[in-house]
Amino acid sequence: MRTIRNIFRRKMRAILTISGIMIGVFALIVMGAMAEKITLLVDGGTKYYGDKVTMTAGKGGAMSLGTEPLSTKTVKEVEKVDGVARASASIMLLQDPKGGSVNMGVPPMIGGIDGRGKGLESFKITYAEGRDIKPGENGAAVVGADMVKKLNAKVGSNIKVRGETFRVVGIMDKTLTAPDSEIVVSLHDIQDMYVKQLPVMLRDKVDPATVATGLTIYIKKGQNPETVAKRINKQFPNFTATGPKAFQEQIASSTKIFTSIIFGIAMISLLVGGLSVVNTMTMAVSERTREIGIRKAIGATKRAIVRQFLAESAVIALIGGFMGLLFGALFVFAANSGNTGTPLFLLTTRLIAGSLSFALVLGVLSGLYPSYHAARLSPVAALRYE
Amino acid sequence: MTAIIEATNVAKMYQLGKDNHVHALRGTTVSIESGEMVAIMGPSGSGKSTMMHMLGCLDKPDSGEVTLSGRRVDTLVNGHLARLRSQEIGFIFQGFNLVPTLSALENVALAAEYAGKSRKEASQMAEEALIKVGLGDRLRHAPSELSGGQQQRVAIARAMVNKPAVILGDEPTGDLDTASSQEIVAMMRHINKTTGTTFVLVTHNPEVGEACDRIITMRDGAVIDDGRAAADNADEAVA
Ligand SMILES: Nc1ncnc2c1ncn2[C@@H]1O[C@H](COP(=O)(O)OP(=O)(O)O)[C@@H](O)[C@H]1O
Ligand SMILES: [Mg+2]
Repeated sequence: MRTIRNIFRRKMRAILTISGIMIGVFALIVMGAMAEKITLLVDGGTKYYGDKVTMTAGKGGAMSLGTEPLSTKTVKEVEKVDGVARASASIMLLQDPKGGSVNMGVPPMIGGIDGRGKGLESFKITYAEGRDIKPGENGAAVVGADMVKKLNAKVGSNIKVRGETFRVVGIMDKTLTAPDSEIVVSLHDIQDMYVKQLPVMLRDKVDPATVATGLTIYIKKGQNPETVAKRINKQFPNFTATGPKAFQEQIASSTKIFTSIIFGIAMISLLVGGLSVVNTMTMAVSERTREIGIRKAIGATKRAIVRQFLAESAVIALIGGFMGLLFGALFVFAANSGNTGTPLFLLTTRLIAGSLSFALVLGVLSGLYPSYHAARLSPVAALRYE
Repeated sequence: MTAIIEATNVAKMYQLGKDNHVHALRGTTVSIESGEMVAIMGPSGSGKSTMMHMLGCLDKPDSGEVTLSGRRVDTLVNGHLARLRSQEIGFIFQGFNLVPTLSALENVALAAEYAGKSRKEASQMAEEALIKVGLGDRLRHAPSELSGGQQQRVAIARAMVNKPAVILGDEPTGDLDTASSQEIVAMMRHINKTTGTTFVLVTHNPEVGEACDRIITMRDGAVIDDGRAAADNADEAVA
């Protein structure tokens, strides 16, 4: 209470200083929530790719566009490779062929799978409503949790994707990663859509009944997916098999840079807030020099003086911290609920705890020098100060 | 009688610049008896405040000795001096004596807290002290809500809250009008008589000097009259 009264002796200055910290914590919370979301997406992706090998057409990495399309015929051949339990063909297309819409990580995709991976997939999908697509069930779609609002999807209702109409048979539970923004249809439906989007002169070259853009290869228990990927690459020189490590490394390195930039910006704004605390406390000490002299005369020890001023700077930082947290959380909630796609922010307890403790530490550090300076004043010099 | 505070051959010099210094005290000796009420008077700049700082363990002399209740104190470390000040000495300064954000009660309690009392205990002691100076109905008032005389009474309550042996005042009536000034002097005199607390008051005010048992007169950093002869004469006159 006394500390608060002292802080608000100079109301305007206190408010400005607290705002400085508040803005810093706000930035840390908002930017941090964005970084946390990315981290979570990445963790999900890492898990998803954790135990399987992905095969795409052509050479040059998993993400490059295939030149020679894969085919469902390849599935049977790959399954003969030592260590392969099963392979499943799929096609992934952008939901919105023009791109657009704000997104992070994976853009919203529409995909079709042949369902051969059933029972082997370690990344379990559960359904909030309805069910999975049955093999060969054409015209049906399963919708990811984050797409429900955007498409106004309900089980039994129709949705339109890339000009095609599908009947919704299931809505996935939130996975907090890629599938949240996906729509899943039958392999047959997606093969048709795939061929449709090819340039006319290429359409004849592919067989819509067997075309695929990727194979998901499930590995037998006890086998190393990287070794199996190598084996597949040797036997299928026209295709590229990629083990989980490449995905994880690629994702990790790109997100690391992104999250450190985000945190860096937030930290800088908080440091600026910290400097304003140093300034405020230095001014407070010099304004209260005579008071410090009197306190010392009547018996205050150095420790008592240090404690008094440190408490003030810590409380300034904490008030700013809590307000920054409050506004940051409000912003995050507002932004997440205003956005129809995948939420951009994730407020985690570790982010909240981290931001508040960082603000507190910053407050204490900022108060250290001014407090120490106050404590060192000689009582006589302080008393003579006008 | 035994001396409660003694400053013996105390010197203090302030360096103002290169080759420019002030001798605030030039090997000065002052001795205060227990239970006395003494005024230190003299022109401005004569070293009165500096002497009071020595007697009150607020500053250390360049040379000479200071003893409090027979113990040498000028050699003690700062932390120890802070404890001595809080437990054995009370201070009253001229104007702006109080912490502006604290109520009268909190201002007085602060001294008890610095002396190691718990908040609750300190608050109780402070209330008692404020009742003694007639401010029992002003406990929650902020200094700005009190008159100059009332503020100095709070300062007196604060000075006596830890029941020190000595209370030192540097121009305690300096900012007050005549009526308040008389009221404050009378109050200190009363406390001195009833509790035996020793008072040393630096002052310009002749009325304060008259109310005291003895007047020490200083000039240019030295005592030119310790007032003992006058005090003896007064005693004889009474006898
Ligand atoms: N911190 C200081 N620095 C320089 N000179 C000082 C300082 N403190 C006191 N003095 C000088 O010492 C002398 C005595 O001062 P002081 O004890 O305050 O006198 P008084 O209280 O009698 O007016 C004065 O000349 C004053 O200017
Ligand atoms: Mg003076």
